[in-house]
Amino acid sequence: METEVKRLEKATLLQMRDQLASFDWTDEELNELVEPQRGIITAFQTLLDDLNALRQVDLGAVPPNEAPARPAGK
Amino acid sequence: MTDEICFAAATALAAGIRKGEFSCAEVASAFLRRIESRNAALHAFITVTGDRALQEAKARDAANTEQKAAAMLLGVPIAIKDLIDVAGVPTTGGSRVLHDNVPEADAPVVAGLAGAGAVMLGKANLHEFAYGATGENPYFGTCVNAYDSLRLACGSSSGSAAAVSSGLAAAALGTDTGGSVRIPAVLNGLVGIKPTYDLVPAGGIVPFSWLLDHLGFITRTVSDCAAMLATFAGPRFDAAPAATGVTRPLDRTRIGIPTRLASDRIDPSIRALFERVLSFLVSLGMEPVEIELPDLATARTVSLAIQMPEALSFHSRYLATRGHLYGADLRAGLALGQSLLAEHYLRAKRLAIMLRRDLERILRDVQTILTPAAPIPAPEIGATHVTMDTEREPVGNVLTRHTSLFNVTGHPALVLPCGMHPLGLPIGVQIVGRHFDEGRILELAQWLEQEPAFTIPPPPLT
Repeated sequence: METEVKRLEKATLLQMRDQLASFDWTDEELNELVEPQRGIITAFQTLLDDLNALRQVDLGAVPPNEAPARPAGK
Repeated sequence: MTDEICFAAATALAAGIRKGEFSCAEVASAFLRRIESRNAALHAFITVTGDRALQEAKARDAANTEQKAAAMLLGVPIAIKDLIDVAGVPTTGGSRVLHDNVPEADAPVVAGLAGAGAVMLGKANLHEFAYGATGENPYFGTCVNAYDSLRLACGSSSGSAAAVSSGLAAAALGTDTGGSVRIPAVLNGLVGIKPTYDLVPAGGIVPFSWLLDHLGFITRTVSDCAAMLATFAGPRFDAAPAATGVTRPLDRTRIGIPTRLASDRIDPSIRALFERVLSFLVSLGMEPVEIELPDLATARTVSLAIQMPEALSFHSRYLATRGHLYGADLRAGLALGQSLLAEHYLRAKRLAIMLRRDLERILRDVQTILTPAAPIPAPEIGATHVTMDTEREPVGNVLTRHTSLFNVTGHPALVLPCGMHPLGLPIGVQIVGRHFDEGRILELAQWLEQEPAFTIPPPPLT
């Protein structure tokens, strides 16, 4: 049974930065993940929601690496 | 020699040189003069390699007749996105981070183009490390659209597109991780191709995402595109028909039309153009087939979950010591890459394979797929979001909506302009084909290019 995921808060990212991550992201950079202003990137919460929704897709035994099949003689 | 030659097709330049109408050195000099007068305003080039260009041009002029006949790109002056190595010239990636990065050897793609007779004019501007589709670069300057200087050239291969559209290069090399060749090409009135994954060797480039990066070409015509691609394709695909301008009948060939386009958020003028293009292809005998394309939003999610951890993995070597030299937008993206879980990344890779299998299954039934190239015309400089049908989205997401799926699946995709938006900006369509079937999408593009109804005016000459 999956645990319900709570909405991401900036405090979580700050704790991840301080306790897990290896680079010194600034408050402003982490804020961009929570409330993006620059128009380049999706909000992190949206990405997490989308990724969570994709958990419903049954991937069976699809592997993470598989080279595209090349046509014969190519 | 006037500036007019700087707007000729690359294949026409090579043909003129072979006929003795002008020399490689004269052509290179014309482009270098134009770069000197226009680049300060356009920001298309980060580094101009004038000496190398003239040296290469003179060497091409000194070649014998047989060598000249074999050189498909004889004397064609090209721009190289500054993410791709040229020996002895800084590869900055459009960033202060790599200000001292001077490679010793040409990337294989550069060596290949040089071997085909091309002349290297210099390194073209880009969104820092190819991160964004807007092409903005606060350090080296933001490239403006050739049709409206208040609008973006878009990116990330912004300098490559701006150079060709403004007559500063005859063709250009770019990279495409989610649409970075195709979006700036079509929105500046040019042809752009992202070939099948790994068809053009990706060595000697600063990677953004190993799984999604594709090298591609921005050209003035479909034949130019075919000529560039033929340099690398060898026996792997038959570019000859498109390269020579010969088009074969399209009777009874099946073209896939994604059903989800009907409910997709697309500018009305772009939707209307798409319908006109489809009607034209049907009039040529093509059979339209409704297809269920994989969800484009899913593709975008998969793409982000793959590219940001991969980008972070590459840039971790610089972040500790040069982290302060990165632009703010890219740093935020890398922070996102840091915050994703390993399972997110692996699941995205598995989903990518599933998407590829889905598309391969569709492309067993149809030979090609038609979509709009970009759902909006070039945005204004400084735009961060776009609102369509009351939905507000980041501009980068909107620009790459129809392109990023095919980076995930590795299928070849070509864009070409087919009309003008009421705002006076080029708009166009995207043609997608089976893996290594670039010849077919080039032929289809050639049919569209030859149709007067889809011809667009050149940008205002400046």
